[in-house]
Amino acid sequence: MAPHSPGTDQIDTLLWIGFVAAAILIVAVNVGLLYALRRYRAERGAEPRQITGGRRIQLRVAAVLGIFAVAIFVLSVLYTDKARETPVTGAAGLQVSHSEPLKITTTGQQWLWRYDYPNEAFSYYKLVVPVDTAVELDLVSTDVVHTWDVPDLAGKRDAVPGKTNHVVFSADEEGTYFGQAATLSGQAYAAMRTEVEVVSPKEYEAFIESQKEDIQAAQDRVVGLIENGETP
Amino acid sequence: MSAPAGRPELVIDGFPPRRPRWVEIATSPDHKDLGRILITGALGFLFIALVELLLMRLQLAIPENTFLTPVTFNRMLSLYGATAILFFAVPLALGFFCYVAPLQIGARGTALPRLGQLGAWLFIAGATVLYAGFLFTPTEAGVNPLPPLSGIAFLPNNGVDAWAAATGLATLGFVLIAIDLVATLRRLRAPGMAWRRLPIFSWAAAICSWLLLVIGPVMLAAITMLLIDRNFNGIFFAGDAGGAPLLWQHLSWIFYTGAYMLILIFALGAIGEIVPALARKPLFNRGAVIASMVAIAVLGTLAWMQNMYTAPIGIGWMYFAMAMSLALIVPFGLIFFNLIATLTGGTVRMRAPLLFAAGAIVAISIGLASEVCHSMVALGWRLQHTTDSTAATHFALVGGAVFGGFAALHWWFPKMTGRTMGETLGRLSFWTMAIGILVAFVPLFIAGAEEGQVVDAYKFFNGTGVNADNLIATIGAFVLAAGILMTLVNAILSREGGAPTGHDPWQGDSLEWFALSPPEPHNFDLLPDVRSARPMRDIRKAIARRSARVERPGRESQPVA
Repeated sequence: MAPHSPGTDQIDTLLWIGFVAAAILIVAVNVGLLYALRRYRAERGAEPRQITGGRRIQLRVAAVLGIFAVAIFVLSVLYTDKARETPVTGAAGLQVSHSEPLKITTTGQQWLWRYDYPNEAFSYYKLVVPVDTAVELDLVSTDVVHTWDVPDLAGKRDAVPGKTNHVVFSADEEGTYFGQAATLSGQAYAAMRTEVEVVSPKEYEAFIESQKEDIQAAQDRVVGLIENGETP
Repeated sequence: MSAPAGRPELVIDGFPPRRPRWVEIATSPDHKDLGRILITGALGFLFIALVELLLMRLQLAIPENTFLTPVTFNRMLSLYGATAILFFAVPLALGFFCYVAPLQIGARGTALPRLGQLGAWLFIAGATVLYAGFLFTPTEAGVNPLPPLSGIAFLPNNGVDAWAAATGLATLGFVLIAIDLVATLRRLRAPGMAWRRLPIFSWAAAICSWLLLVIGPVMLAAITMLLIDRNFNGIFFAGDAGGAPLLWQHLSWIFYTGAYMLILIFALGAIGEIVPALARKPLFNRGAVIASMVAIAVLGTLAWMQNMYTAPIGIGWMYFAMAMSLALIVPFGLIFFNLIATLTGGTVRMRAPLLFAAGAIVAISIGLASEVCHSMVALGWRLQHTTDSTAATHFALVGGAVFGGFAALHWWFPKMTGRTMGETLGRLSFWTMAIGILVAFVPLFIAGAEEGQVVDAYKFFNGTGVNADNLIATIGAFVLAAGILMTLVNAILSREGGAPTGHDPWQGDSLEWFALSPPEPHNFDLLPDVRSARPMRDIRKAIARRSARVERPGRESQPVA
């Protein structure tokens, strides 16, 4: 797994910060514990001095821990704010609007993702987006709670019925990125996967056109069948 | 180990049981029988939870496995979640609180014994209802059955209703037991047993009981709404009709996060008894540990939205939850510091309870340090809902409820039965469990953080880079289960076959060691005035002084062999 979007770059850095912080905490507790257990093994009959600690040392330890917690908090806020910023569409990206990201309505339904592009094209399972372009997915759900998760491109977010959630990313490289829904949504939950294909703006526009034509053709065929009195 | 014969008290015996033993226990208002029901029941459900866990791990041993059907897997998952938390961890903690706390405060019983007894029976009723689901269709809505999936439209069979009724009955039972404990701890302390002299484990009992009084009713409300939604066309959680699916998430996470803290406070309370006694030193700073336990209960519960970073809630709420969960570093860190400082300079006797207590500290520290990563909002978007969170939760809760629970079991087993648990089997069990938990859950950390393997899924796919991780995790789960089984077997064998002990096998400082092992129905014939936080140490000293005066001439007059 490797980050391919400005947001996941930030998350990746934060992962290392978190890893170091967790390692410091684990090492501090366990080295202290194991050292004390080995060093102070009982000798028979010895009665240790009944030492207890005063308030001052507790306050000092609490202060050190507090500073540690505040440092992690500040770093997390800094990186989280950067990670959730809407990225800027680059020179190689799709030039639609200067400030607005490409908005794609993403609908979770048991057990498939539907992507509705601007100008009426849609696709199931596979999302096609132009490279180096700010993309905003508006997550909604028609049935139960689903979680959209393509870890290379963005942090995961839930699609909850009745509320819209947002994911922003801008893929830095063409290619295919895989993802899997991450909240239990019923029987076929584990099979609810998705695929993001990042292509050049030209290929993206061609895809939208062909998708629209295919959808139109399919609709025409169904309408034709119904007019002929057949069941589609 | 001093013999009970030297104790200056009257011993009354000879009340023959009038009814069969199980009827006596089932209808007994004695807090020790209540504790025994809860602990025995909880350990039984630990076994059942293990079976469910192993079935799921077998399914996840190889990619795209077909050992379990998706529906069976989801049922195992849902039952495992309810069993492990509501029918093992929480009742185990409450069982020890009910058994030990009244003894520790020098009470002759609890304040509201019938209420506590009703609580234990509601717990058993809840478990029966949950597993009665096998008569029709057990729940398949997951560990936390989120609406709308748990709504009538998506799971129309009665499995979710059974889950809701079971959870509701058990939670109500826990709340009643908590009321009994709060009343007991407030009203029935022995003369001189001021709050500042209360043993750490009784403090844990008080804090956990208050915590249950806060979070229990929240869960009961949520469950009531779920049942109304499912059965009477309610719209509490129906997004399209003016309700909110997120409401359930808030309410249930308040309960689950609080229960998580309750389990950890229980474990730390037990460890806070074991470490000082086996290091032969007082706890380094009682006040700091007690204040930290209170802080954990408050901050931990307020951090409930830490579980909802991916949900559509405002970023401000997420930062609030992050502040609360990162603040937990201070109280947990202080408690660990004080435990280590207690060991420092002591004479540490490395008996089985201390082994398990040390294992609990190691496991809890690994779990909570990972939770720190999960609390960092953007990182939570990456790590939550992956097997990384499975591993973090299991390190903390297996560390708290199983390692901590077994430490408590080894510690108070002599008090409950008059016999010690086998030390060799205990050590073997501990090392097997220690290897097992590392092998079972470290690979899941890697699979979750590196490859993003999602949680709760009945299968994973070839080519996602997690094949080896999952196979190793399955092997580790079996090792862990073998270790846990050894202690369960050890407990069963030692009930009749363990080495008999006196009333004070560990030279503990609190008053439960003043009672006989097992204690009489009324606990104590007479009680000393409590003059310090270590009343049993005072008693031992007084006995030593007096017997030195009395016994010296006797010894001199012994015939020479």
